[in-house]
Amino acid sequence: MAQPLVKKDDDLDDEAEYSPFLGIEKGAVLQDARVFNDPQLDPRRCSQVITKLLYLLNQGETFTKVEATEVFFAVTKLFQSRDLGLRRMVYLMIKEISPSADEVIIVTSSLMKDMNSKTDMYRANAIRVLCRITDGTLLTQIERYLKQAIVDKNPVVASAALVSGIHLLQTNPEIVKRWSNEVQEAVQSRAALVQFHALALLHQIRQNDRLAVSKLVTTLTKGSVRSPLAQCLLIRYTNQVICESTGNAQTGERPFYDYLESCLRHKSEMVIFEAARAITELNGVTSRELTPAITVLQLFLSSSKPVLRFAAVRTLNKVAMTHPMAVTNCNIDMESLISDQNRSIATLAITTLLKTGNESSVDRLMKQITNFMSDIADEFKIVVVEAIRSLCLKFPLKYRALMNFLSNILREEGGFEYKKAIVDSVVILIRDIPDAKESGLLHLCEFIEDCEFTYLSTQILHFLGIEGPKTSDPSKYIRYIYNRVHLENSTVRASAVSTLAKFGAAVESLKPRIFVLLRRCLFDSDDEVRDRATLYLNMLGADGTIVETGEDANGFLFGSLDIPLVNLETSLKNYVPSDEPFDISSVPREVKVQSLAEKKASSKKPSGLDAPPAGPTATVNAYERILSSISEFSSFGKLFKSSAPVELTEAGTEYAVNVVKHIFDRHLVFQYNCTNTIQEQLLENITVIADSSEAEDFAEVASKPLRSLPYDSPGQTFLAFEKPEGVPAVGKFSNVLRFIVKEVDPSTGEAEDDGVEDEYQLEDLEVVTGDYMQKVGVSNFRNAWEHMDPDSERVDEYGLGPRESLVEAVNAVINLLGMQPCEGTEVVPSNSRSHTCLLSGVFIGNVRVLVRLSFGIDGQKEVAMKLGVRSDDESISDAIHEIVASG
Amino acid sequence: MILAVLFANSVGNILVERFFGVPAEERLHWRSFLVKLGADNLKGVKNEELLVACHKSVYIVYTVLGDVSIFVVGKDEYDELALSEVIFVITSAVKDVCGKPPTERLFLDKYGRICLCLDEIVWTGLLENTEKDRIKRMIRLKPPTEF
Repeated sequence: MAQPLVKKDDDLDDEAEYSPFLGIEKGAVLQDARVFNDPQLDPRRCSQVITKLLYLLNQGETFTKVEATEVFFAVTKLFQSRDLGLRRMVYLMIKEISPSADEVIIVTSSLMKDMNSKTDMYRANAIRVLCRITDGTLLTQIERYLKQAIVDKNPVVASAALVSGIHLLQTNPEIVKRWSNEVQEAVQSRAALVQFHALALLHQIRQNDRLAVSKLVTTLTKGSVRSPLAQCLLIRYTNQVICESTGNAQTGERPFYDYLESCLRHKSEMVIFEAARAITELNGVTSRELTPAITVLQLFLSSSKPVLRFAAVRTLNKVAMTHPMAVTNCNIDMESLISDQNRSIATLAITTLLKTGNESSVDRLMKQITNFMSDIADEFKIVVVEAIRSLCLKFPLKYRALMNFLSNILREEGGFEYKKAIVDSVVILIRDIPDAKESGLLHLCEFIEDCEFTYLSTQILHFLGIEGPKTSDPSKYIRYIYNRVHLENSTVRASAVSTLAKFGAAVESLKPRIFVLLRRCLFDSDDEVRDRATLYLNMLGADGTIVETGEDANGFLFGSLDIPLVNLETSLKNYVPSDEPFDISSVPREVKVQSLAEKKASSKKPSGLDAPPAGPTATVNAYERILSSISEFSSFGKLFKSSAPVELTEAGTEYAVNVVKHIFDRHLVFQYNCTNTIQEQLLENITVIADSSEAEDFAEVASKPLRSLPYDSPGQTFLAFEKPEGVPAVGKFSNVLRFIVKEVDPSTGEAEDDGVEDEYQLEDLEVVTGDYMQKVGVSNFRNAWEHMDPDSERVDEYGLGPRESLVEAVNAVINLLGMQPCEGTEVVPSNSRSHTCLLSGVFIGNVRVLVRLSFGIDGQKEVAMKLGVRSDDESISDAIHEIVASG
Repeated sequence: MILAVLFANSVGNILVERFFGVPAEERLHWRSFLVKLGADNLKGVKNEELLVACHKSVYIVYTVLGDVSIFVVGKDEYDELALSEVIFVITSAVKDVCGKPPTERLFLDKYGRICLCLDEIVWTGLLENTEKDRIKRMIRLKPPTEF
């Protein structure tokens, strides 16, 4: 039957039907491959079949061993054809099939013949195929030809051999390293690509020989490298050499900087960018060195090419982390990138601006970001939210605008990770900025009214229970919490019941009303909700027996579970149901410190709700728990401060020991954290002998030895000293680790009965005045400063001598005083010659201290500092000056 | 190292997929990631206009040519700029083979030659040739003209 004529243009939708590979099947194509065996080869037909095979492979199809072998043998027959197009296809096909070692021999002779052919292109392709399928033995046979090929006049042949060399270096490095001379010659080639490939190979051959790489860079940076790609490689190698060299200490000049700087004027954008990036990555780059690089990157920001814009903003984003001031000149260009079609570029621009922006630009920036947020993916939004969180902590006065922004985006659509990032940020801001607490809590309340994530709802309810009762009007949160009991799933309902109980316990005036609400929960359909309601009603005395909430109830509701969850879990698993009820007091309280492997794996990312309260406080709580569980220390009173761990051994030694200094009003406790890194040893009765002859104010009062220290399972031993009350006594302790060592049989893991007493010398430990200072920030330094008595102010000037940089001087003083930098003033702009740093802290005896530091540096890098101190106690102001004067 | 070169049609079906040094179990993840990236961003993009993204320490440069989207993935020395060079060579070679920005049909018609071009451009993760005229000659086993 005749088909109606259809105009082709009308049928464009059916174009897929025209696909030459429509309905392609592996079996049929393998069948077709039999044409390779025909005595009279049809090159066109054979090429079509190979194309189909390639199509299958490129679609992710795989051939079984038998199928691959069959195709491979059939393809080798095609070497008989003289057709050039088909031969090229054959080379590709053999590479794609990658025959097994025992099959390779079939094509070796054909390929060796091609490798010595007079036709250059046969040579180049045969080299590539041979190197792909070859093993070590065959390589030694063809090595001679490969070395010749590297210096072949035809650039295609030379490149083929060089690129093959780069690949072979991974499998047969000894052989390839012998080609050094030829590769060196190829580096001088006039062909751009040959030079590029040769340089890459030569560097890889010599990469472990610093001197050789340095020599290579010295030679090439003087000569002319033709290919921009090779130039980029050279810049990278140069940068590596610069990083490893120390520079000229006298003139302060950096070797090869002039070369990098000259590359900024290269005609290829790729080279310019590479040089700019290399400069920004130099160790301790100065603002003078940085300026020309930033200038070219700034030009790239307005390039018409998205890749250049992306590269530039990505590099500037990195620079902003260390040198925010150097990037501020680019802010206007970056602001225009917020509307860039390419969202990756826009996000990078926003996060860079958030890092470099000053307080006055925050509002404008927020307006722009609001428009931008609606059309980016969640992963980008998370990056922006995190940047806004840091900005808010940097400029606490701007919390209102930033908190509003967070609450607005909280109401919009978004996935779990994104919402969690926002909630975490709000929580962190509430914790760190007291003024933001009430508005932040209300935003969270509104969010849980319409929150689809059970996890977030329960976390927020928990947080509300802790923070809500401390606000000026706790009753306004009750409505939001009680709504959960009506509207949510049982997990959230149970959390809401606990939160209600916390309000009841903490706010006496709300108690009767809370009882009414809790009683209604007694009829809930879920038993956990009912159980909790019953428990809390009894505990809070709803039956009228108790009028005021007792210590027990508060401890139960607000106290943290002072048993490590891991231990509780283990004990519960081991509990066998019997007449005897499970006794929670039988659960061991000793905290198992992370093992070496876990420690390495753990990340340092700050989190909001995951580990409440954040970071250091959690550690302090853990320390408090450990110390209070030790009877010898229970009479020491409240823990004032715990220092960060100080390492007493070098990394990689047999025993790893660090120490945490715990400061009490009249006592000092050293907590030695010990790890045994020798598998064949078990240590027992471990103590530290501390010699306090250089710490006269301290007298040892107690010691708690560690009973046993098996391999890779850390343990702690403690020493306690008495010191004069409230006085920041200082001194130096020398430490020796004393223990009994027992051999362990690695096969059985059992230790021998007899051990030998041994000692291990540890580093000395110093107690300094900074140990008596708590890092406590203030949200508005100026207000706090003005509210302190001006008479308590002590001002003096100090010369800090020659320093490497202003940054180094500022950090040294911050560390010496152990105080909290405020308002981001610890960041020193890279090109500045003067800087003001604001610090805040609480000194032992609960004395508030504020410090104003003004630094100046001159041409000879001499640093001068003016120190102003105000505190609740004039004598502490003087003590701070003494710390600086003696430090 | 160039980790992947991938061609997809306008609805996200894979036309060519070549991975270098990427374990087999990760390829599916990469394929779906790239196709989604294209679906999210390539609408309304002009021919050969480059888009760029980074995913962890890996860079992705991608574009549209006719009915075909092209993705190139790299890491280390193959950063966004080096990859833009690679994708430029690939798009020029494809245009050269097809005579214009290809429809899907035209692309499939020239499939064999496009595979040969790719073989000349990227050799197990390294950029080998960069000039389209030279590539055009090499896939026919003709020596480069400048030689």
